[in-house]
Order: sequence, then C-alpha cells, then structure tokens
Amino acid sequence: MTRLTALLGGAFAVLVGLFLIAPVAVTVASSLTTTAYVTFPPQGITLRWYAEVFQKPEFLSSFALSVGVALGAAAVSAVAGLAGGLAIHRYRFPGRAALEAVLSSAFAVPTIVLGIGLLQWFAQMGLASSPFTLLLAHLVLTVPYAVRLVLAGLAGLDRSAEKAAAGLGAPPFAVFWHVTLPAVRGALIGGAFFAFITSFDDLTVALFVVTTDLQTLPVRIFNYMQYDYDPTVTAIGTLMVLFAVVAVVVIERFVGVARLFGADRDQQ
Amino acid sequence: MSTSVTEAPARSDVRRGRLRLDGVRKVLGGKEVVSSVDLETEPGEFLTLLGPSGCGKTTTLNMVAGHLTADGGVIEVDGRDITAVPPHRRSMGMVFQSYALFPHMTVAENVAFGLRMRKVPAADRRRQVAEMLELVGLDGMADRHPGRLSGGQQQRAALARALVVQPDLLLLDEPFSNLDAQLRVRLREEVAALQRRIGTTTILVTHDQEEALAVSDRIAVMADGVIHQLDRPREIYLRPGTDFVARFIGEVNAIEGTAAGPVADGYACTVAGETVAATPAGDPPAAGEAVRLYVRPEVVRISTDGAQGLRGTVRETRFLGSRIRCVVATPAGEVTAALPFDARVPAVGEEVTCAWRPSDASLAAR
Repeated sequence: MTRLTALLGGAFAVLVGLFLIAPVAVTVASSLTTTAYVTFPPQGITLRWYAEVFQKPEFLSSFALSVGVALGAAAVSAVAGLAGGLAIHRYRFPGRAALEAVLSSAFAVPTIVLGIGLLQWFAQMGLASSPFTLLLAHLVLTVPYAVRLVLAGLAGLDRSAEKAAAGLGAPPFAVFWHVTLPAVRGALIGGAFFAFITSFDDLTVALFVVTTDLQTLPVRIFNYMQYDYDPTVTAIGTLMVLFAVVAVVVIERFVGVARLFGADRDQQ
Repeated sequence: MSTSVTEAPARSDVRRGRLRLDGVRKVLGGKEVVSSVDLETEPGEFLTLLGPSGCGKTTTLNMVAGHLTADGGVIEVDGRDITAVPPHRRSMGMVFQSYALFPHMTVAENVAFGLRMRKVPAADRRRQVAEMLELVGLDGMADRHPGRLSGGQQQRAALARALVVQPDLLLLDEPFSNLDAQLRVRLREEVAALQRRIGTTTILVTHDQEEALAVSDRIAVMADGVIHQLDRPREIYLRPGTDFVARFIGEVNAIEGTAAGPVADGYACTVAGETVAATPAGDPPAAGEAVRLYVRPEVVRISTDGAQGLRGTVRETRFLGSRIRCVVATPAGEVTAALPFDARVPAVGEEVTCAWRPSDASLAAR
C-alpha cells in the first residue's frame, strides 16, 4: 500500500512538473520552426528567428529599459524595505498601524486597478511617462513585499544581541552593520530578487504607464503580437527564459538561492 | 570549566569597578519603575539585585549598562559620572538570559567582537580569545556557530565575550534562567568561582532567591522600584528587614508581639505573655510598640525541658528528607520548625517550647 502511495505521489509530482514546464517547452520548441507562423511541434529547425530578434532595435532597447527599471526596483525596494521594516519594527509612531495595513493589503489590489489609478494620478501630477514613472509604478508592487521580508528577518533577531554589541563598544552604526544587517541580509537579497523579477515580468501595470516610445519588453512583445504572430516572439520568450536561468545560476553560485528564502537558518 | 578555572592566570589584582548609584529613578510608560535606588559596590564585589518580575531590577541594570537613561539621580563608576554616557563608551560586559550571541559569527568571532571594536591587533585578539575560551571551557568550540552549541555552552561563550574586554563591570541579566535545573546550579557555581578569580565587579539580576544566596557577596532585595534591604546573604536570610524580604525569600514564621526593651543579646518582646528576643532590623523600636518577629524554620529549636520560649502543642510532624518539618500551635499562632534529620522528633500533641538565638531572628515595627 505504501509503495502504491509512493508511486502515485511520484507520478503526481511528475505530472505537476510537466504541467509547469510544458508552456516553456512549447515556446522554446516553436521558436525553432522554419514556418513564418508559430506552430507546435516545430516544422524543421532554424535559428533564423533569433537573428530576427537582434535585427529589431526596438526589442533590444525595450530589453535595456526593462533591465534598467528592474535593477532600479530591486535596489530601491531593498533600501526602502530595510528602512520601512526597521521603522515599523522599532518605533511607535502615528500612522504605524495604518502603514502596516496598507503595506499588507497592497497584495490584494489587482494590478489592473493599480495601473488605471497610476495612469490618472501621474496625469494629474503632470508626470510625463518616463523610466522614472515606470519605476515608481513597480515600486508600488515590490516595496510592500520587501518590507514584509525585512520584518520577518527582524522578528528573528534578538534585540539583546544589539545591546550586547553596544556594550562591547560598538557605536550605533557598527551595531547596525555587524548585528542588525546580517539578520536581514537574506530578506534584503530575497526582496531585491523578487522586485527584479516582478518588475521585469510586469505587463499589466506597465501597459498603462508606457508610451509608444517607451515600452518595456513584455509590453513590446504584447504589442508586437497584436500585428505579427511570427516566431520572433517565441524566440524572445526563449531568450528571456535563458536570461532567467543564467540569473538564477549566477545567484546560486554567489549567494545560494536557498538562502534568499531564509533556508540558512537551520544549517547553523 | 572548573579545571580550567584553577589553571587560569590570576587577575584578582584588578582593583577597579566601584559602582555607585545615587537616587536613580526611571519612569517607563508613565509608571515609576525605579523610584530611588542608592547602592555602592566594593571593587571586585559580586552584588545581586533580587526581586520578583516588575520590581525594577532589570531596569536598574539597563541603566547601569546605558541601554536606558536614568530620569533622575547619578550613576558613577570609579568616581566617573556615566549617567549620560552612551553604552558603547561605558566599559560593561553584559550577559543575557537569551545568550544574545551573534548567530552569523563563530564562537571565536563572537568573543573577538569587543576586541575588534577596540581595534586590538589581530594577533593579540586571537591569543586573548583562545585564552578566554579555555578559561570558560570552550576550547575546541572556537569555529562552531552558536546554533550548534548547547545552552550552557552558549552562555559560556557569552560570558567569554563579555569578559575578554576586561570590563569595569560584568552585568548578568538572569543568565541562568534558560538552563535546566542541574546545569543552572553548576554554571552558577562556575561563574561565581571565575568571578572570584578574575575579580571583576559583577552585578547579577535574578528572581531566584537560592541563586542569589549561593553566589553573592551582597544582595539587594528589590520590590516596587526600591531596594528593601541590601546586605550579605546570611543577614538577608536570617534577619529580613521588611515584611516583603521575609516573605519573598524562603519560608518564615512571622510572629506578632509587643516591644519590651533591649536585652544582652538582642531586643526582648512579649508574645502572648511569653518573652522572646530577636535582633532589630534598623533602629530598635520603642518599648510598647507593636512589632513583628521574623524567625526562619531552620533556626527554631524544639525542647521539652521547660526552657524559655514560645510554648505550644505539636500539631504535625513530617519527614521531608533533608529536614523534619514540625508545626507547633502556640498562643501566638502556628510556628514551623525545620529540624535536622537526626533530631528527636516530638510526638503530635506533646507540649513543647520553641526557642531560637536572638541573633538568628529579626524584628521590625508593624
């Protein structure tokens, strides 16, 4: 009976894995087709569509914009997450409960609602569409998450350790640097990682904020697909998957993905 | 650790660490948590702040460490006013109930932290850390992370971290409370022995009266933000100065009577028509004043030869292993005696006399 259970469990796990990976596999495979339209299974094998991608400068500039905004979102989210998390964890100030409530309910707001709201708001404030407004829009998505992660990290920090450090002669900044920061290091890396992915991946919010001259990669792909459904799109998709894989491998190499999610706690 | 302690180089020539608190107060959340605390330690003394939770002992310790700022009064170390000095410019080693080790550093890195902050060169640092780890019995654990140590080992590492910087004062905030009973007793004895050896003035905060009695040179019993009594353990135990001290520490017979007058070895009072004596806590009362005597069960002797003392009838005797508990009903109420196991056990219903040495009991006005 237990062997049957194990077998069924294994089969289920494989099916779930297949279900998750199938769309990616289809995208990758169909990017190799020789036909001028997207089809699966691919007919023949060619790298022509990859060459097409690199001959379209608008895709390359969109990629650069997306990466730039995503890096900005990652950096600002980490800093704002740390500051916000510390403030909420340490101090009792007017509006603290409200701030915490807003930060946790930010997840509940549908991104399309957020996009419409930001469109109105930016227009009324007279903010022209720019990488900066895009960054602001993405920060609304990513900062609450970073704050949450930092708060979780701080919850695991014994305040007495900070007192001990101060007693041992560490000035306030040294206490922060040697004791507080290491406790939230994982949270900060995780928050930045999440912010990068969220920003790089976002279509809904960006659709409302961008202009014809300023398009993030997902928006560019979306718009392109309205008129040309050729395998260039799947080639770009494959490149994005490749980009993500490389990113994960690099992070794994230097940081360890498990650590992003606080898995280093129990190894100590 | 006990073996390492005897091999360690003696540093008991340290003659610093005289702490003085003068009228120190602290208000937290609108409540005066510490009212007006005065105390002064001798250099090298082991002084304990003992009291129930909420009595202000930890707040007092945090003011000494600088983590809280006093709202009034003066804190001095060796004549230097440190009341407004931030914690990192005081020289205090502190050990916490939660150990408070830095989880991302190894034991050696933890211990070296204070030396790093003091810019001690790496080579000296390594040598001092190794010496200190040996002193607390953690040699061989230097490269482990705190999470891989037992509670007792973590607390030893914390102690090493606090002591390696040779602080003016060692502050211990309930350091044994998280340990199991056996380890608690062993570690507290080791800490007391180490303290005597290196001679660092030490302030211990605890709610455990047995711990306080076992390790301290002097004990300050605190309640409601004030020190009720500051004295050596023997005096605190045998001659409590206030009702609170008498009842907080151990078991006590509180007997009500009327002050009569001084006698050769104490102060006499009349209790239910009999004359008994004790030592006044503080100023002797005036004759005729209502007083209360505090007599520990251990000092009560039971006799049947008609000696002077409180007469009564034995109501109950019970064998407790280390002691025999004997309750005597007297006109002044029940008196409990804890007799040594080889004492003659009186029979229930027997007429006996309860007596004690006047120097072993105290009396205070009620």
